[in-house]
Amino acid sequence: MGSILVVAEIQNGAIREASYELASVAQSLAGTSGREVKSLVMGSGIGALAEEFSKKGGGSVLVADDAALENYNVDAANAAVRAAVEAASADLILLSNTPSGWDVAPRLAAGLDAGFVGDCFRIDFDGGQFNFRRRVFNGKLDAHVSAIEGTIVATVQPGATPPFEGTTDGSTSDLSVGFEGVRAKFVETKKSDSTGVDLSKADIIVSGGRGVGAPEKFAEVIQPLADALGGAMGASRPVVDAGWLPHHYQVGSSGQVVQPKLYIAAGISGAIQHLVGMKSSNYIIAINKDPDAPIFEVANLGVVADLFDVVPALTEAVNGAKG
Amino acid sequence: MKIMVCLKQVPHQDARLDIDSAGTWIQESNIKFEINTYDTYALEEALRAKDEGECEVVVVSIGPDRTTQALRTALGMGADRAVHIKDEEADGSDALGLAKLLAAVAKEESPDTIFTGFMSDDDNFAAVPPMLAELVGLPHTTAAVKVVRGDSSLTVDRETEGGSYEVVELPLPCLVSVQTGINQVRYASLKGIMAAKKKPLDVKSVADLGLSGSVGAGAAKVKIEKIAPPPKGDTAELLEGSTDEVVAGLVTKIKELGLL
Ligand SMILES: Cc1cc2nc3c(=O)[nH]c(=O)nc-3n(C[C@H](O)[C@H](O)[C@H](O)COP(=O)(O)OP(=O)(O)OC[C@H]3O[C@@H](n4cnc5c(N)ncnc54)[C@H](O)[C@@H]3O)c2cc1C
Repeated sequence: MGSILVVAEIQNGAIREASYELASVAQSLAGTSGREVKSLVMGSGIGALAEEFSKKGGGSVLVADDAALENYNVDAANAAVRAAVEAASADLILLSNTPSGWDVAPRLAAGLDAGFVGDCFRIDFDGGQFNFRRRVFNGKLDAHVSAIEGTIVATVQPGATPPFEGTTDGSTSDLSVGFEGVRAKFVETKKSDSTGVDLSKADIIVSGGRGVGAPEKFAEVIQPLADALGGAMGASRPVVDAGWLPHHYQVGSSGQVVQPKLYIAAGISGAIQHLVGMKSSNYIIAINKDPDAPIFEVANLGVVADLFDVVPALTEAVNGAKG
Repeated sequence: MKIMVCLKQVPHQDARLDIDSAGTWIQESNIKFEINTYDTYALEEALRAKDEGECEVVVVSIGPDRTTQALRTALGMGADRAVHIKDEEADGSDALGLAKLLAAVAKEESPDTIFTGFMSDDDNFAAVPPMLAELVGLPHTTAAVKVVRGDSSLTVDRETEGGSYEVVELPLPCLVSVQTGINQVRYASLKGIMAAKKKPLDVKSVADLGLSGSVGAGAAKVKIEKIAPPPKGDTAELLEGSTDEVVAGLVTKIKELGLL
């Protein structure tokens, strides 16, 4: 029988929270599937972090410590994971669905001729096989996926599982990795120039999504409500992608993460990448004509209606209430 | 120079999602299909390279008869040739099976660059592009938001998290999966659509690609057992009634929150 290999990630000099979530998934599957938990910690000068991970759910930690792993590089990371899979005799390999997971996990699966399941929010072992749950159609439906046979690589959605708590017995050992095949070259990391609105300071945000339908509707329908409430306007990604609004309006995993006192989402379906940007808001109101839109799962108050009926009427009522 | 673009035809973003009788996918009869959003940006990125100089753009898609429509649209937008992998034997392929089919075409075509979308709007796997790169033996990156073409390499900004980017340099040939918003996608012109009718569209079977027995449901390593609406958790309290009633309820709530 194989083992479960957790591929941990280092971010800003620490093991990422998502990696402790993987450890917790792995530890519970170890119990149900009778497998041992092993991990890979990779980077440069990371011995202490590897030690720490081994005591917090990582089990037997393989340590790939090399200057080639200092900055994230898809080929170097892939080489390290390949070496770890072999050293660990792993048949379930878990990575986080993060920018490095997007790059490495499917490539690894193809290299191992293994099955792949991406962005799972739950993994179980029953009936002698691993079973996975993941969202499809941008969060509108759940798929139950089973692994038929052989080695499986899976990525896990960050934030879907509580991180591993407590301490475990663990050990570390050095893993040697060959980096001959590295072709991609890391140049630099950069931040988007954050000129524009800082949504994180707004008490009230009124966001519009693809359902708003046209660029001028933001000025005509969404902005007036934001103004009436003394708040700021936000948007989902397709609005920004289409060039309707600049990037600094975007809320979500690749935009701003906000936590206002009130967040109003109009014509936004509630894909996970949007939700991570606003779900910690103090109070959420969703207006959407689709009663099954996932946004209603995180909203406190919902209105199933056409936003073009509700939003202008609300703007008028708010202006009226202010006298 | 040659650029290959992989396209998937997916249910329209506003299509009704009714579950099929087997309970393993949605009902695909009677709904509209479109080119996967991410892939339209990949195609546009290729067409921009073509606008700048000598370059052939080949679009490739796997799917049933209806997929012809997506390929014709791509040809109408300016692609030069299309390859349609159409074969019932490919049905039920997992991501690796699909990547094998595309890899067989990529090996025949030997493009300098392969552009794909970052993921598909229907199954949201984001798996085929890196798999394809591995099978063809190309370097790759994912989630590109900017591509700068050099003589023998591409310099790519890939989007990471929270407004950060990673800049990577990839030697050619390579594969780049493209994020939405990287460019503004053109529409097919009427003239383009007319011209597309005469452009070559090759149909290939699984056997043509030498993959009989290694793709399709029988070769899949993972399988969708069931598809279902997400269990309703703590959903929102819903305000019902006329627009006036709903608005009154919203105003009351906003006042309660001390924000009005
Ligand atoms: C790596 C990655 C990063 C991403 N980052 C982000 C991010 O930072 N932010 C983000 O938002 N997305 C992000 N996305 C995209 C995300 O997956 C979704 O595609 C996006 O959030 C969908 O936006 P939407 O809800 O506006 O559009 P849709 O999902 O198309 O939803 C539109 C909604 O409007 C409703 N609607 C339509 N007309 C009306 C009407 N008249 N009245 C009321 N309701 C109406 C519909 O019922 C539907 O629910 C990212 C994706 C990836 C892969």
